[in-house]
Amino acid sequence: MSSHPTDFQGSVIDALREAIERQIPDSRAAVNGGGGHFSIEVTSPAFAGKSMLESQRMVYGAIAHLMKGEMAPVHAVDSLKTRTPIAPA
Amino acid sequence: MALSESLRKQISDLVVTNRVVLFMKGTRQMPQCGFSAQVVQILDELVPSYETVDVVRSPEIRDGVKEFSEWPTIPQLYVDGKFIGGCDIVREMNASGELQKLIGVKTSDPKTPTITISDAATKAFAAAVAEAGGDSLRLQIDPQFQHELFFGPREPGDIEVQVNGLTLLVDRSSAPRANGLSIEFIDGPGGGFKISNPNEPPKVKQLSAPELKTMLDRDEVTLFDVRPENERAIARITAARSLDAAGQKYLLGLDRGTPVAFHCHHGIRSQEAAQQLLGEGFLAVYNLKGGIDAWSQSIDPSVPRY
Repeated sequence: MSSHPTDFQGSVIDALREAIERQIPDSRAAVNGGGGHFSIEVTSPAFAGKSMLESQRMVYGAIAHLMKGEMAPVHAVDSLKTRTPIAPA
Repeated sequence: MALSESLRKQISDLVVTNRVVLFMKGTRQMPQCGFSAQVVQILDELVPSYETVDVVRSPEIRDGVKEFSEWPTIPQLYVDGKFIGGCDIVREMNASGELQKLIGVKTSDPKTPTITISDAATKAFAAAVAEAGGDSLRLQIDPQFQHELFFGPREPGDIEVQVNGLTLLVDRSSAPRANGLSIEFIDGPGGGFKISNPNEPPKVKQLSAPELKTMLDRDEVTLFDVRPENERAIARITAARSLDAAGQKYLLGLDRGTPVAFHCHHGIRSQEAAQQLLGEGFLAVYNLKGGIDAWSQSIDPSVPRY
Protein backbone atom coordinates (compact mmCIF):
# COMPACT_ATOMS: atom_id res chain seq x y z
CA MET A 1 0.00 0.00 0.00
CA SER A 2 1.38 3.39 -0.94
CA SER A 3 1.54 6.12 1.65
CA HIS A 4 0.57 9.73 1.20
CA PRO A 5 1.61 12.54 3.52
CA THR A 6 -1.21 14.30 5.30
CA ASP A 7 -1.51 16.87 8.06
CA PHE A 8 -4.82 15.36 9.16
CA GLN A 9 -5.07 14.52 12.85
CA GLY A 10 -7.15 11.61 14.12
CA SER A 11 -8.92 8.72 12.46
CA VAL A 12 -9.66 9.30 8.78
CA ILE A 13 -12.00 6.30 8.80
CA ASP A 14 -14.07 7.85 11.59
CA ALA A 15 -14.03 11.24 9.87
CA LEU A 16 -15.30 9.70 6.62
CA ARG A 17 -18.01 7.72 8.33
CA GLU A 18 -19.19 10.68 10.41
CA ALA A 19 -19.23 13.04 7.43
CA ILE A 20 -21.29 10.63 5.35
CA GLU A 21 -23.74 9.66 8.07
CA ARG A 22 -24.23 13.32 9.04
CA GLN A 23 -25.00 14.51 5.54
CA ILE A 24 -26.88 11.66 3.89
CA PRO A 25 -30.24 11.03 5.56
CA ASP A 26 -30.59 7.77 7.51
CA SER A 27 -27.36 6.45 6.08
CA ARG A 28 -24.97 3.86 7.42
CA ALA A 29 -21.43 3.92 6.15
CA ALA A 30 -18.81 1.17 6.33
CA VAL A 31 -15.30 2.46 5.70
CA ASN A 32 -12.11 0.45 5.32
CA GLY A 33 -8.60 1.29 4.29
CA GLY A 34 -5.60 3.41 5.22
CA GLY A 35 -2.56 5.06 3.72
CA GLY A 36 -4.79 7.49 1.86
CA HIS A 37 -6.78 4.74 0.08
CA PHE A 38 -10.27 3.86 1.25
CA SER A 39 -13.21 1.63 0.40
CA ILE A 40 -16.62 2.94 1.29
CA GLU A 41 -20.01 1.28 1.35
CA VAL A 42 -23.06 3.39 2.13
CA THR A 43 -26.62 2.24 2.65
CA SER A 44 -29.38 4.83 2.66
CA PRO A 45 -33.01 5.10 1.56
CA ALA A 46 -31.97 8.44 0.01
CA PHE A 47 -30.44 6.50 -2.93
CA ALA A 48 -33.78 5.00 -3.94
CA GLY A 49 -34.64 5.88 -7.52
CA LYS A 50 -31.29 7.60 -8.08
CA SER A 51 -28.73 6.51 -10.64
CA MET A 52 -25.36 5.20 -9.54
CA LEU A 53 -23.81 8.48 -10.71
CA GLU A 54 -26.20 10.57 -8.60
CA SER A 55 -25.77 8.33 -5.57
CA GLN A 56 -21.98 8.39 -5.77
CA ARG A 57 -22.07 12.15 -6.22
CA MET A 58 -23.96 12.49 -2.94
CA VAL A 59 -21.26 10.54 -1.14
CA TYR A 60 -18.39 12.42 -2.80
CA GLY A 61 -20.18 15.66 -1.91
CA ALA A 62 -20.29 14.64 1.74
CA ILE A 63 -16.57 13.88 1.91
CA ALA A 64 -15.26 16.56 -0.46
CA HIS A 65 -13.52 18.43 2.36
CA LEU A 66 -11.42 15.32 3.11
CA MET A 67 -10.28 14.98 -0.51
CA LYS A 68 -9.20 18.56 -1.23
CA GLY A 69 -5.59 19.60 -1.74
CA GLU A 70 -2.19 17.93 -1.81
CA MET A 71 -2.22 17.10 1.91
CA ALA A 72 -5.75 15.66 1.90
CA PRO A 73 -6.19 12.66 4.21
CA VAL A 74 -8.10 10.84 1.46
CA HIS A 75 -5.96 10.35 -1.63
CA ALA A 76 -8.22 7.89 -3.41
CA VAL A 77 -11.49 6.07 -2.94
CA ASP A 78 -10.65 2.65 -4.33
CA SER A 79 -14.18 1.36 -4.17
CA LEU A 80 -17.44 3.17 -3.51
CA LYS A 81 -20.68 1.25 -3.26
CA THR A 82 -24.08 2.75 -2.62
CA ARG A 83 -27.02 0.60 -1.68
CA THR A 84 -30.66 1.12 -0.87
CA PRO A 85 -31.75 -0.86 2.17
CA ILE A 86 -34.06 -3.78 1.54
CA ALA A 87 -37.56 -2.65 2.51
CA PRO A 88 -38.86 -4.40 5.63
CA ALA A 89 -41.54 -6.94 4.80
CA MET B 1 -10.21 26.69 -6.37
CA ALA B 2 -12.41 28.39 -8.89
CA LEU B 3 -12.23 27.10 -12.42
CA SER B 4 -10.90 29.81 -14.72
CA GLU B 5 -13.02 30.68 -17.73
CA SER B 6 -10.27 29.72 -20.16
CA LEU B 7 -9.79 26.32 -18.57
CA ARG B 8 -13.53 25.69 -18.45
CA LYS B 9 -13.69 26.50 -22.15
CA GLN B 10 -10.72 24.23 -22.91
CA ILE B 11 -12.36 21.25 -21.18
CA SER B 12 -15.75 22.01 -22.60
CA ASP B 13 -14.27 22.15 -26.12
CA LEU B 14 -12.59 18.78 -25.54
CA VAL B 15 -15.80 17.01 -24.56
CA VAL B 16 -17.89 18.68 -27.25
CA THR B 17 -15.57 18.15 -30.22
CA ASN B 18 -14.86 14.50 -29.38
CA ARG B 19 -17.67 12.03 -29.02
CA VAL B 20 -15.96 9.80 -26.48
CA VAL B 21 -13.38 11.37 -24.18
CA LEU B 22 -11.60 9.73 -21.30
CA PHE B 23 -9.71 11.83 -18.77
CA MET B 24 -7.19 9.38 -17.40
CA LYS B 25 -3.80 8.88 -15.78
CA GLY B 26 -1.34 7.91 -18.49
CA THR B 27 -2.12 7.04 -22.09
CA ARG B 28 -4.31 4.49 -23.82
CA GLN B 29 -1.18 2.41 -24.55
CA MET B 30 0.33 2.91 -21.10
CA PRO B 31 -2.22 3.66 -18.40
CA GLN B 32 -0.58 4.68 -15.13
CA CYS B 33 -3.33 3.66 -12.77
CA GLY B 34 -5.38 0.51 -12.45
CA PHE B 35 -8.72 2.30 -12.61
CA SER B 36 -7.79 4.16 -15.79
CA ALA B 37 -6.53 0.88 -17.25
CA GLN B 38 -9.84 -0.85 -16.57
CA VAL B 39 -11.81 1.84 -18.38
CA VAL B 40 -9.38 1.76 -21.33
CA GLN B 41 -9.83 -1.98 -21.55
CA ILE B 42 -13.61 -1.65 -21.68
CA LEU B 43 -13.53 1.16 -24.26
CA ASP B 44 -11.00 -0.70 -26.42
CA GLU B 45 -13.52 -3.49 -26.82
CA LEU B 46 -16.32 -1.11 -27.78
CA VAL B 47 -14.92 1.78 -29.82
CA PRO B 48 -12.18 1.77 -32.44
CA SER B 49 -11.03 5.26 -31.61
CA TYR B 50 -11.60 7.68 -28.79
CA GLU B 51 -9.85 10.63 -27.27
CA THR B 52 -7.84 10.33 -24.07
CA VAL B 53 -6.48 13.19 -22.01
CA ASP B 54 -3.51 12.37 -19.80
CA VAL B 55 -4.06 14.38 -16.62
CA VAL B 56 -0.65 13.38 -15.26
CA ARG B 57 0.94 15.52 -17.96
CA SER B 58 -1.49 18.32 -17.37
CA PRO B 59 -2.08 19.07 -13.68
CA GLU B 60 -4.23 22.05 -14.68
CA ILE B 61 -6.72 19.83 -16.45
CA ARG B 62 -6.46 17.27 -13.68
CA ASP B 63 -7.78 19.80 -11.14
CA GLY B 64 -9.97 21.54 -13.68
CA VAL B 65 -11.90 18.49 -14.81
CA LYS B 66 -12.66 17.51 -11.22
CA GLU B 67 -14.27 20.89 -10.77
CA PHE B 68 -15.89 20.82 -14.21
CA SER B 69 -17.56 17.43 -13.61
CA GLU B 70 -18.03 17.97 -9.88
CA TRP B 71 -16.40 14.57 -9.49
CA PRO B 72 -13.32 14.17 -7.30
CA THR B 73 -11.54 11.26 -8.95
CA ILE B 74 -9.86 10.25 -12.23
CA PRO B 75 -10.69 8.51 -14.62
CA GLN B 76 -13.71 10.36 -15.94
CA LEU B 77 -15.61 9.36 -19.04
CA TYR B 78 -17.56 11.73 -21.29
CA VAL B 79 -19.84 10.63 -24.12
CA ASP B 80 -21.54 13.21 -26.35
CA GLY B 81 -20.48 15.99 -24.03
CA LYS B 82 -22.16 14.34 -21.07
CA PHE B 83 -20.34 13.13 -17.96
CA ILE B 84 -20.88 9.39 -17.54
CA GLY B 85 -18.87 8.53 -14.45
CA GLY B 86 -15.73 6.94 -13.10
CA CYS B 87 -14.42 3.40 -13.19
CA ASP B 88 -17.12 1.70 -11.07
CA ILE B 89 -19.92 3.23 -13.07
CA VAL B 90 -18.34 2.46 -16.44
CA ARG B 91 -17.79 -1.15 -15.40
CA GLU B 92 -21.35 -1.55 -14.20
CA MET B 93 -22.79 0.06 -17.34
CA ASN B 94 -20.61 -2.16 -19.52
CA ALA B 95 -21.79 -5.28 -17.76
CA SER B 96 -25.45 -4.27 -18.01
CA GLY B 97 -25.24 -3.25 -21.68
CA GLU B 98 -26.13 0.41 -20.97
CA LEU B 99 -22.73 1.66 -22.08
CA GLN B 100 -23.04 -0.09 -25.45
CA LYS B 101 -26.41 1.61 -25.99
CA LEU B 102 -25.02 4.98 -25.00
CA ILE B 103 -22.05 4.73 -27.33
CA GLY B 104 -24.25 3.28 -30.04
CA VAL B 105 -22.44 -0.01 -30.48
CA LYS B 106 -24.72 -2.61 -31.91
CA THR B 107 -24.59 -5.59 -29.68
CA SER B 108 -26.84 -8.50 -30.07
CA ASP B 109 -27.55 -10.18 -26.79
CA PRO B 110 -24.66 -12.51 -26.22
CA LYS B 111 -25.49 -16.16 -26.58
CA THR B 112 -25.86 -18.19 -23.43
CA PRO B 113 -22.53 -19.97 -23.11
CA THR B 114 -22.31 -23.72 -22.77
CA ILE B 115 -20.55 -24.62 -19.54
CA THR B 116 -19.73 -28.07 -18.19
CA ILE B 117 -19.42 -28.72 -14.47
CA SER B 118 -18.08 -32.07 -13.21
CA ASP B 119 -20.01 -34.06 -10.60
CA ALA B 120 -17.47 -33.30 -7.88
CA ALA B 121 -17.58 -29.59 -8.70
CA THR B 122 -21.39 -29.64 -8.73
CA LYS B 123 -21.40 -31.14 -5.25
CA ALA B 124 -18.89 -28.57 -3.98
CA PHE B 125 -20.88 -25.71 -5.50
CA ALA B 126 -24.18 -26.96 -4.10
CA ALA B 127 -22.67 -27.03 -0.60
CA ALA B 128 -21.31 -23.52 -1.04
CA VAL B 129 -24.60 -22.20 -2.44
CA ALA B 130 -26.39 -23.45 0.66
CA GLU B 131 -24.06 -21.33 2.79
CA ALA B 132 -24.07 -18.26 0.55
CA GLY B 133 -27.25 -16.75 1.96
CA GLY B 134 -29.10 -15.87 -1.21
CA ASP B 135 -26.21 -14.53 -3.28
CA SER B 136 -25.68 -16.15 -6.65
CA LEU B 137 -22.72 -18.00 -8.04
CA ARG B 138 -20.96 -15.73 -10.53
CA LEU B 139 -18.30 -16.33 -13.13
CA GLN B 140 -16.21 -13.47 -14.47
CA ILE B 141 -13.56 -13.67 -17.17
CA ASP B 142 -11.56 -10.56 -17.98
CA PRO B 143 -9.94 -9.92 -21.38
CA GLN B 144 -6.66 -11.40 -20.06
CA PHE B 145 -8.59 -14.57 -19.24
CA GLN B 146 -8.27 -14.23 -15.51
CA HIS B 147 -11.14 -16.36 -14.23
CA GLU B 148 -13.02 -15.54 -11.08
CA LEU B 149 -15.72 -17.63 -9.42
CA PHE B 150 -17.48 -15.93 -6.54
CA PHE B 151 -20.79 -15.27 -4.83
CA GLY B 152 -22.40 -11.93 -5.53
CA PRO B 153 -25.74 -10.27 -6.13
CA ARG B 154 -27.55 -10.57 -9.46
CA GLU B 155 -26.74 -7.64 -11.78
CA PRO B 156 -28.73 -6.14 -14.63
CA GLY B 157 -27.83 -7.75 -17.96
CA ASP B 158 -26.63 -10.98 -16.36
CA ILE B 159 -26.82 -14.13 -18.42
CA GLU B 160 -28.10 -17.16 -16.62
CA VAL B 161 -26.54 -20.54 -17.28
CA GLN B 162 -28.25 -23.66 -15.92
CA VAL B 163 -25.95 -26.63 -15.36
CA ASN B 164 -26.73 -29.75 -13.31
CA GLY B 165 -29.43 -27.91 -11.38
CA LEU B 166 -27.07 -25.01 -10.55
CA THR B 167 -27.57 -21.44 -11.70
CA LEU B 168 -24.43 -19.67 -12.76
CA LEU B 169 -24.52 -15.96 -13.59
CA VAL B 170 -22.18 -14.57 -16.22
CA ASP B 171 -21.96 -10.87 -17.10
CA ARG B 172 -22.36 -9.84 -20.73
CA SER B 173 -18.72 -9.14 -21.47
CA SER B 174 -17.58 -12.43 -19.92
CA ALA B 175 -20.21 -14.53 -21.70
CA PRO B 176 -18.52 -14.92 -25.12
CA ARG B 177 -15.29 -15.87 -23.34
CA ALA B 178 -17.09 -18.56 -21.31
CA ASN B 179 -18.45 -20.71 -24.12
CA GLY B 180 -17.22 -24.29 -23.93
CA LEU B 181 -15.65 -23.79 -20.52
CA SER B 182 -15.51 -26.63 -18.01
CA ILE B 183 -15.12 -26.62 -14.25
CA GLU B 184 -13.73 -29.52 -12.25
CA PHE B 185 -13.12 -29.94 -8.57
CA ILE B 186 -9.90 -31.49 -7.36
CA ASP B 187 -9.80 -32.83 -3.84
CA GLY B 188 -6.92 -32.64 -1.41
CA PRO B 189 -4.09 -30.21 -0.75
CA GLY B 190 -3.42 -27.81 -3.59
CA GLY B 191 -6.82 -28.75 -4.99
CA GLY B 192 -9.90 -26.68 -5.58
CA PHE B 193 -11.91 -25.61 -8.58
CA LYS B 194 -10.07 -26.00 -11.83
CA ILE B 195 -11.30 -24.12 -14.87
CA SER B 196 -10.39 -25.12 -18.41
CA ASN B 197 -11.28 -22.60 -21.05
CA PRO B 198 -10.84 -23.46 -24.74
CA ASN B 199 -11.15 -19.75 -25.67
CA GLU B 200 -8.04 -18.85 -23.71
CA PRO B 201 -5.11 -18.10 -26.00
CA PRO B 202 -2.13 -20.38 -25.29
CA LYS B 203 0.47 -19.05 -22.88
CA VAL B 204 4.14 -19.83 -22.45
CA LYS B 205 4.35 -22.39 -19.66
CA GLN B 206 7.23 -22.18 -17.22
CA LEU B 207 9.23 -25.32 -16.43
CA SER B 208 11.62 -25.84 -13.56
CA ALA B 209 14.85 -27.66 -14.41
CA PRO B 210 13.63 -30.96 -12.85
CA GLU B 211 10.31 -30.70 -14.73
CA LEU B 212 12.16 -30.18 -18.00
CA LYS B 213 14.47 -33.11 -17.20
CA THR B 214 11.49 -35.42 -16.70
CA MET B 215 9.92 -34.33 -19.98
CA LEU B 216 13.20 -34.73 -21.87
CA ASP B 217 13.73 -38.20 -20.38
CA ARG B 218 10.27 -39.21 -21.58
CA ASP B 219 10.91 -37.64 -24.97
CA GLU B 220 7.90 -35.38 -24.48
CA VAL B 221 9.46 -32.10 -25.59
CA THR B 222 11.99 -30.73 -28.07
CA LEU B 223 14.46 -28.33 -26.44
CA PHE B 224 16.11 -25.40 -28.20
CA ASP B 225 18.96 -23.22 -26.98
CA VAL B 226 18.47 -19.60 -28.03
CA ARG B 227 21.99 -18.48 -27.00
CA PRO B 228 24.59 -17.52 -29.63
CA GLU B 229 27.56 -19.81 -30.42
CA ASN B 230 30.02 -17.99 -28.11
CA GLU B 231 27.83 -18.78 -25.10
CA ARG B 232 27.10 -22.30 -26.28
CA ALA B 233 30.87 -22.86 -26.39
CA ILE B 234 31.06 -22.15 -22.65
CA ALA B 235 28.25 -24.39 -21.49
CA ARG B 236 25.48 -26.43 -23.05
CA ILE B 237 22.69 -28.85 -22.27
CA THR B 238 23.32 -31.98 -24.34
CA ALA B 239 19.70 -32.43 -25.40
CA ALA B 240 19.34 -28.85 -26.62
CA ARG B 241 19.48 -27.97 -30.26
CA SER B 242 20.90 -24.59 -31.26
CA LEU B 243 18.39 -22.11 -32.60
CA ASP B 244 20.79 -21.05 -35.36
CA ALA B 245 19.53 -20.70 -38.94
CA ALA B 246 19.28 -24.48 -39.41
CA GLY B 247 17.60 -24.88 -36.00
CA GLN B 248 15.04 -22.21 -36.81
CA LYS B 249 14.25 -23.86 -40.12
CA TYR B 250 13.79 -27.21 -38.39
CA LEU B 251 11.61 -25.64 -35.68
CA LEU B 252 9.29 -23.85 -38.08
CA GLY B 253 8.88 -27.09 -40.03
CA LEU B 254 7.49 -28.88 -36.97
CA ASP B 255 3.84 -29.68 -36.51
CA ARG B 256 2.19 -26.82 -34.56
CA GLY B 257 1.07 -29.25 -31.87
CA THR B 258 4.65 -30.36 -31.08
CA PRO B 259 5.65 -29.43 -27.52
CA VAL B 260 8.66 -27.14 -27.72
CA ALA B 261 10.86 -25.71 -24.95
CA PHE B 262 13.44 -22.93 -24.98
CA HIS B 263 16.33 -22.11 -22.73
CA CYS B 264 19.00 -19.41 -22.53
CA HIS B 265 21.33 -18.32 -19.73
CA HIS B 266 18.76 -17.15 -17.15
CA GLY B 267 15.38 -17.57 -18.84
CA ILE B 268 14.76 -14.06 -20.15
CA ARG B 269 15.77 -14.31 -23.82
CA SER B 270 14.19 -17.76 -24.09
CA GLN B 271 10.92 -16.37 -22.71
CA GLU B 272 10.91 -13.85 -25.55
CA ALA B 273 11.59 -16.54 -28.13
CA ALA B 274 8.82 -18.68 -26.65
CA GLN B 275 6.41 -15.77 -26.78
CA GLN B 276 7.21 -15.26 -30.46
CA LEU B 277 6.65 -18.90 -31.23
CA LEU B 278 3.09 -18.68 -29.89
CA GLY B 279 2.60 -16.09 -32.60
CA GLU B 280 3.59 -18.77 -35.14
CA GLY B 281 0.66 -20.86 -33.99
CA PHE B 282 2.47 -23.35 -31.74
CA LEU B 283 0.19 -24.59 -28.98
CA ALA B 284 2.49 -26.07 -26.32
CA VAL B 285 5.44 -23.77 -25.69
CA TYR B 286 7.64 -23.98 -22.62
CA ASN B 287 10.39 -21.87 -21.10
CA LEU B 288 13.11 -23.16 -18.77
CA LYS B 289 12.83 -20.99 -15.69
CA GLY B 290 16.29 -19.79 -14.60
CA GLY B 291 17.89 -21.01 -17.83
CA ILE B 292 20.99 -23.18 -18.11
CA ASP B 293 22.17 -21.71 -14.82
CA ALA B 294 19.27 -23.41 -13.01
CA TRP B 295 19.97 -26.62 -14.96
CA SER B 296 23.59 -26.57 -13.82
CA GLN B 297 22.58 -26.02 -10.19
CA SER B 298 19.85 -28.62 -9.87
CA ILE B 299 20.38 -31.21 -12.63
CA ASP B 300 23.91 -31.36 -14.02
CA PRO B 301 26.75 -29.72 -12.06
CA SER B 302 29.19 -30.66 -14.85
CA VAL B 303 27.65 -27.87 -16.93
CA PRO B 304 29.83 -24.83 -16.18
CA ARG B 305 28.16 -21.75 -14.69
CA TYR B 306 29.21 -18.44 -16.15
